[in-house]
Amino acid sequence: MQSTKFMESIKELSKEEYLLRGHIACAGCGPAIGLRLLFKALGNKIILVVPACCSSVIPGPYPYTSLAVPVQNIIFEATGATASGVVAALRKKGVNDVTVVGWAGDGGTFDIGIQALSGAAERGTNFIYVCYDNEAYGNTGVQRSGATPYGAWTTTTPTGKKERKKDMPFIMAAHRIPYIATACPSYPLDFVKKLRKAKAIKGTKFIHLLAPCPTGWRYDTSKTVEIGRLAVQTGLWALFEIEYGRFKLNPPSDQLIDKEKRRPIKEYLSLQGRFRKLTDDDIEKKQKWLDEDWERYHKLASNNASDLALCEEI
Amino acid sequence: MVVVPKTRKEMPVTTLSVPTIGSAGKTGFWRDFRPVMVELVSPCTYDCPANNRLPQIFEKIRDGKLEEAAKIFLETNPFPSITGRICPHFCEEHCNRSEYDEAVSIRSIERFLGDYILERKGEAGFHEISTEKGKKIGIIGSGPAGLSAAYYLRKMGYNVTIFESEEKPGGMLTYGIPPYRLPKQIVEKEVAALTKMGIEIKSGKTVGEDIKFEDVQKEFDAVLLAIGAWKERDIGISGEQLMMSGLEFLGEVNKGLMEPPGMDVAVIGGGNVSVDVARTLKRLKAKPSILYRRTEKEMPAISEEVTKAKEDGIEFHFLTQPVDASKKNGKIVLKCIRMRLGELDASGRRRPIPIEGSQFTLEFDAVIKAIGEGPDTTWIPKKFLNEGGWMKVDSATGVVGENLFAAGDLISGPATVVEAIAAGRRTARSINQYLRGEEIRPEVPLEKPVKIEGINIEYYEPKERAKASELPPEERTKSLDKEETSGISLEKVQDEAHRCFSCGYCRACDICWIFCPDGSVDLENGGKPEFDYDYCKGCGICSNECPCGVIIMEREEE
Ligand SMILES: Cc1cc2nc3c(=O)[nH]c(=O)nc-3n(C[C@H](O)[C@H](O)[C@H](O)COP(=O)(O)OP(=O)(O)OC[C@H]3O[C@@H](n4cnc5c(N)ncnc54)[C@H](O)[C@@H]3O)c2cc1C
Ligand SMILES: Cc1ncc(C[n+]2csc(CCOP(=O)(O)OP(=O)(O)O)c2C)c(N)n1
Ligand code: SF4
Ligand SMILES: [Mg+2]
Repeated sequence: MQSTKFMESIKELSKEEYLLRGHIACAGCGPAIGLRLLFKALGNKIILVVPACCSSVIPGPYPYTSLAVPVQNIIFEATGATASGVVAALRKKGVNDVTVVGWAGDGGTFDIGIQALSGAAERGTNFIYVCYDNEAYGNTGVQRSGATPYGAWTTTTPTGKKERKKDMPFIMAAHRIPYIATACPSYPLDFVKKLRKAKAIKGTKFIHLLAPCPTGWRYDTSKTVEIGRLAVQTGLWALFEIEYGRFKLNPPSDQLIDKEKRRPIKEYLSLQGRFRKLTDDDIEKKQKWLDEDWERYHKLASNNASDLALCEEI
Repeated sequence: MVVVPKTRKEMPVTTLSVPTIGSAGKTGFWRDFRPVMVELVSPCTYDCPANNRLPQIFEKIRDGKLEEAAKIFLETNPFPSITGRICPHFCEEHCNRSEYDEAVSIRSIERFLGDYILERKGEAGFHEISTEKGKKIGIIGSGPAGLSAAYYLRKMGYNVTIFESEEKPGGMLTYGIPPYRLPKQIVEKEVAALTKMGIEIKSGKTVGEDIKFEDVQKEFDAVLLAIGAWKERDIGISGEQLMMSGLEFLGEVNKGLMEPPGMDVAVIGGGNVSVDVARTLKRLKAKPSILYRRTEKEMPAISEEVTKAKEDGIEFHFLTQPVDASKKNGKIVLKCIRMRLGELDASGRRRPIPIEGSQFTLEFDAVIKAIGEGPDTTWIPKKFLNEGGWMKVDSATGVVGENLFAAGDLISGPATVVEAIAAGRRTARSINQYLRGEEIRPEVPLEKPVKIEGINIEYYEPKERAKASELPPEERTKSLDKEETSGISLEKVQDEAHRCFSCGYCRACDICWIFCPDGSVDLENGGKPEFDYDYCKGCGICSNECPCGVIIMEREEE
């Protein structure tokens, strides 16, 4: 459930579009909604750094592009490194009103790009890194990634992935960067707010956006927003921020600490073909992990994150 | 609005190597289904006998455009100040919101808007009257059916004259419904506004007595019979002449009588008249008891009224059927028999069956009967009547034959104000068609309404419905004309309009726009979506998310 102010507030978002019509994302693409929201939050005074991923394909084949902002398309593993270079170049040129945004997939973040990202974060590079997470290598035909959740089908996990998803936001928390947040396009105001907040903070900001993908997740294209909403309502995707080391759940996740308030995870899983082969044991396992996660969130939310890697305000 | 930088110069900020901004091709051809915006019927509109366009009205209220809201209301119901007070609110019964938390307080909104309108009704220009048609219409009876027809016919530019046998216009609004539910000034102001529009009301003129019906039929181009149902039915037991008629009693009270017919008064019947009589008696300091042959569940009276009667301290004798009345020592002795409930009857309620040997007696100072009413058609030429004495009429159009039309309780039997208003409006339409020499066609019935499954309730949050405040029983039973239910504030009215799901009617919320992955929703048309079919890929997210259920997916032709 969104707040009643929701309808009024989305009216206030900019009507300008920088992801133009005619882009070639799949019908119902969650990351494409995410991109539109990115521009609603930050406008066009940005430079995007996009590695190999669906988002490097979405703008369409050269010599055309649907992205009406400057974009640096780079190799799969180099988002963090390239963004560092762009930031350095802008500083050298004395440009200080342009936001540098890395916009990378989960493969490019969890797997091959993690060292470049880790390095940029360790250097405190002043940029926003958004990992839009469609939980697989979408661009190359749905292979597993470190972000693919337990039990999910991909072309390389035909019987369901046997390993758990990495906890990326907490890996980033261990870098003591000033701002980490999770988001989901189904909660557009939350995402926009977090992007704007990130823009105002100096240093490395990491936003992890769960972006449902009808093609890889095997569901009807009309359900993208619904599935994102269910991810949040079941608690499988918690909306939170870690601001200067301080952990905070955001609405509506902040209302879900009580297990009773979380919708059954089956509602989320059963809508998606990729979870078709999950056994009851699998579901029980996922439920147990989920409950453990929430115990951790609960602790973090109540003790001011004293056991998290602390970040001093710069 | 889409901003497309066309040249390198227009490119924002720092320019890297720039390909041509724009699309390589139109993606609309990917589509199997296309989103289409439709307007569907809401349950409230569907259930309202007048089909008030409530979601459309609430949109204007949300936007703070009260005058526009009022104008939409007046298209289907000229007297929201009245129905906003005493309508049994059929509209709220299946309000989709009631399956979520509680129904929207539609009647309270209606009352607010009705009073808003009433304050402005006298103002010139509030009711635009179209060019004079030069034709005359006679209306017999000034109840809600007659008044509503008069309003719409006058607006169409006809000359309207109403004949009313009573001294004051309004029918049951004036002489039936008690003042603590419907203040008489409200009715008077509504009538005054009609007079100001140029409608002539001839009061104290009974057609069939003071004026010959044939003369009326001759004088006017069309005549509408809207004489209501004022004849009290008989129970058919001995001693019935000792009883008063409920309608007559209410009529007397509404004309100024302040004395109850006795201290202990029996009121026979389970309908609205009976409950109004009992509650009125209570306010005249008598001790009324309602006698009804079935149980509370079967009472045809509005259930809220029954609840209030109980709160007022009125006694109920259920499963009680009087079989004989007689006079003894200045008291009326009612012989009664105990009933039990049997099979369902034609009305869908369980039939009362006497229990043998269960006779008992009750004593009262006076007895008032109110077991149902029928129309008095004795003065209407037989050719227009069937064997039962009812009008021969097509109820959808009100057409009787020759230049005659009929509407309201006269043809339906005792019903409600809103049904009379709706019938008056529909018959006005038929009269217009008749006078223009067109074929008379009934209004097209509405399509089935949107169900809650069509609404995306995720975009609403639980919120208590605004409740009108009620005087407590000990206070309200002290006065006959102090209105017991109050209105709600503008702020609450707007809250209620926000609570409305706007079933089947686009609420211009922008949700389809924000979630379109292809940015292919335009909102330039007053905030209502238009789809760019050149690029829309037909994913259906807009349709799935729509909080009003107005975007449907249509299969593309091959
Ligand atoms: C006590 C009571 C309480 C009610 N409470 C409610 C309520 O809470 N909510 C609700 O919706 N409905 C209520 N109703 C029902 C509602 O009032 C009627 O359904 C409605 O008034 C019918 O309208 P009408 O125009 O058909 O007839 P009426 O209102 O009955 O008007 C008919 C008019 O015709 C006049 N007339 C009759 N014969 C002649 C003649 N020969 N010449 C000239 N004039 C004539 C009569 O004097 C009268 O003024 C109540 C009714 C009663 C009796
Ligand atoms: C070094 C290297 N290995 C492999 C590839 C092929 N490749 C391009 S994109 C991609 C997967 C991208 O997955 P992800 O980062 O999750 O983004 P998505 O496509 O899901 O949006 C791969 C494997 C490459 N471009 N470079
Ligand atoms: S929610 Fe609104 S539109 Fe839907 S039935 Fe109720 S009042 Fe009517
Ligand atoms: Mg991916």
